Amino acid sequence: MDKNKMSYKVSQFLMFGGISTVLFLGVVILPFIYGLYLTFTSWDGVSRSKPLVGFANYLAAFKDIDFWAAMGRTIIYSAIAVILINIVAFLLAYLVTSGVKGQNFFRAGFFVPNLIGGIVLGYVWQFVFSRALPAVGIPKLLGTTESGAMFAMILVSVWQFAGYMMLIYVAGFMSVSKALMEAAQIDGCTPSQSTWYVTVPLMRASFVQCLFLSITRCFMVYDVNLSLTKGEPAGKSVMAAMHVYNQAFTYKNYGTGQAEALILFLVCAIVGVTQVYIGKKGEVEA
Amino acid sequence: MKKAVSMMLAAAMAVAMIPAIPAQAADVSITIFNSKMEIQSQMEEMAAEYSAEKGVDVEVYYSSDTVAAHMSTRYASNEPYTISMVDAKDIYSLGPDHAVDLADQDWVKETTQAITVGDAVYGFPVCVEARGIIYNKTAIEDTLGEEFNPEDYKTNEAFAGLLDALKENGMDAPVGVMKEDWSLAGHFIAEVYETRDDVDGFVASLHDGSSDLINDERFNTMLDTFDLLKENNYAADAPVAAVREDTELYLAEGEVAFMFGGNWDWSVLAEYDPEAEMGMMPIPQDDDAYNTKMVGGGSKYFFIDNSDNTTDEQREAAKDFLNWLVFEDGGQEFLVDTCALVPAFSNIELEVTDPLGKSVKAYADADALIGNYNYLPDDHYAKVGANMQEYLKGDIDRETLAADIEAYWQATAPVEH
Repeated sequence: MDKNKMSYKVSQFLMFGGISTVLFLGVVILPFIYGLYLTFTSWDGVSRSKPLVGFANYLAAFKDIDFWAAMGRTIIYSAIAVILINIVAFLLAYLVTSGVKGQNFFRAGFFVPNLIGGIVLGYVWQFVFSRALPAVGIPKLLGTTESGAMFAMILVSVWQFAGYMMLIYVAGFMSVSKALMEAAQIDGCTPSQSTWYVTVPLMRASFVQCLFLSITRCFMVYDVNLSLTKGEPAGKSVMAAMHVYNQAFTYKNYGTGQAEALILFLVCAIVGVTQVYIGKKGEVEA
Repeated sequence: MKKAVSMMLAAAMAVAMIPAIPAQAADVSITIFNSKMEIQSQMEEMAAEYSAEKGVDVEVYYSSDTVAAHMSTRYASNEPYTISMVDAKDIYSLGPDHAVDLADQDWVKETTQAITVGDAVYGFPVCVEARGIIYNKTAIEDTLGEEFNPEDYKTNEAFAGLLDALKENGMDAPVGVMKEDWSLAGHFIAEVYETRDDVDGFVASLHDGSSDLINDERFNTMLDTFDLLKENNYAADAPVAAVREDTELYLAEGEVAFMFGGNWDWSVLAEYDPEAEMGMMPIPQDDDAYNTKMVGGGSKYFFIDNSDNTTDEQREAAKDFLNWLVFEDGGQEFLVDTCALVPAFSNIELEVTDPLGKSVKAYADADALIGNYNYLPDDHYAKVGANMQEYLKGDIDRETLAADIEAYWQATAPVEH
């Protein structure tokens, strides 16, 4: 059998990748294309007719002040949350690989928040912010000021994602060979120097991954937003994804909502991919 | 011995299973979508009884999703319900495409609340709901030591006097204000549009920018009363952080005496088993044309699907079901007694059970209900609701609020009807 023949290659590919390709096409690519088509219609989400309107939805999206306000808010939120998530996650990972007593217990404990669904987590924290903390004299954060709601969102996101990112950093710490650390210490490095100059550069892949995951998750945040702040006070904590949902389903401008979703996707993809590209470029091999 | 016991058990179980098989096999099965969360368990029980009695298999579904969003997913997947319960505005948007014309049905003559688009009747009114000020009569009387008669407090001044008297007698903040945008914008501000002679003309003037909201009499009268509610709000220091359940709990327990709401709030208040005597009154205001009336009308509508996914037999069964609700004892009792709704049909004479519903029924019977305006744009409650929250918090003044509302309307396309 000729292994260079096209038919052989195709059948080999189908054998290993056929099912996942079909699934990927069916649940990602086709809906994406259909969604793209809907951005050129003025469909309201229920009616039978989907009249084509050209680029009107994109024009409406660019003119939608609320959308850009939500986008700006999302960018600020993501920037702060991503930095905090990764700092906390890295420190936690450092802690639970340094050999403290009961480190496996801590690893599991820090990871638990990530196992609670975003909606439940939002309600749990809503209770904390609006009942538990005011009961001990801390003023209400939710529903009073924009910055209060933002602070609450960031705090909850850090609590939720730090444990997950910690696991990736833990894997990064473990992957650095002990031999290198010993060599560094023989050469006269203090433990903190060897961490900073040897371990951290070798963990670059972990940083790239964690940053990518936390950036995309923060940009697309919806569940915590919905159950924690619901966009209040006065719509000042509506993030981009929530605005897209409202636009498409609540205000019944499906096409405009879809167009805004696409813009959000592009912004998120550009930021994420740029970050990965820059991160990968400087990666070092041990 | 063991074997004999197990045989007997098996036989007993087999016998026990027999009644589970329906006495008469259902020829037709219909699905009903319920969007009133508080009556879901009653709906399910009713469906089981109805299936057994009529031989039509009925299944009830509920979704916490926005009604319009849920409908769009069902229609997008070609799985419509036979009967769907939706809001009035959804009948206008869905009806012409998806609903059966019910103009030939007998119940149409018994109601003033059915929804007609063109010549076709698409919406069957499930109940009547109205908005007003909910009061806790017992709490007021206990605080003041004299009888409370809501009809004595029609004007802003009289109501303000009552609130002051309550405060002097130890009720620190006699009012609860819901911060929900559907309440502030969808219900309260909506009354500014609804309580006037030419509603369509006024909305048109908002759209084209010829309105003068800040000098509008109705706007100022309503806002004067809103200011009164706002100043006496128990959560005045952080009004947008107030939780609806807390507010209703305080009202039920008599810590506050008044709340702007509607008879649907009874489903929440009833959770706290209020022993107090409660009721609803029109919004007190300095406008004699409107301080004796509530705003309300039909709420939640059934429509029957007209697509090929539903058979003619199913449609007939669905029509039979609607007739059962209106004309048969079982159906009437289900609406009024089991679900505690205010029926929208004049032939139903059962007495309404919940106290707020009783007030609404009294106003409806006295022809003192001003109709709902069912054509608010879909983003009205979110956007004007945000403005109202700012006003409630004291971030903006009345001039800015009026300007914001006008700016919203001018940027929004008119809803065709």
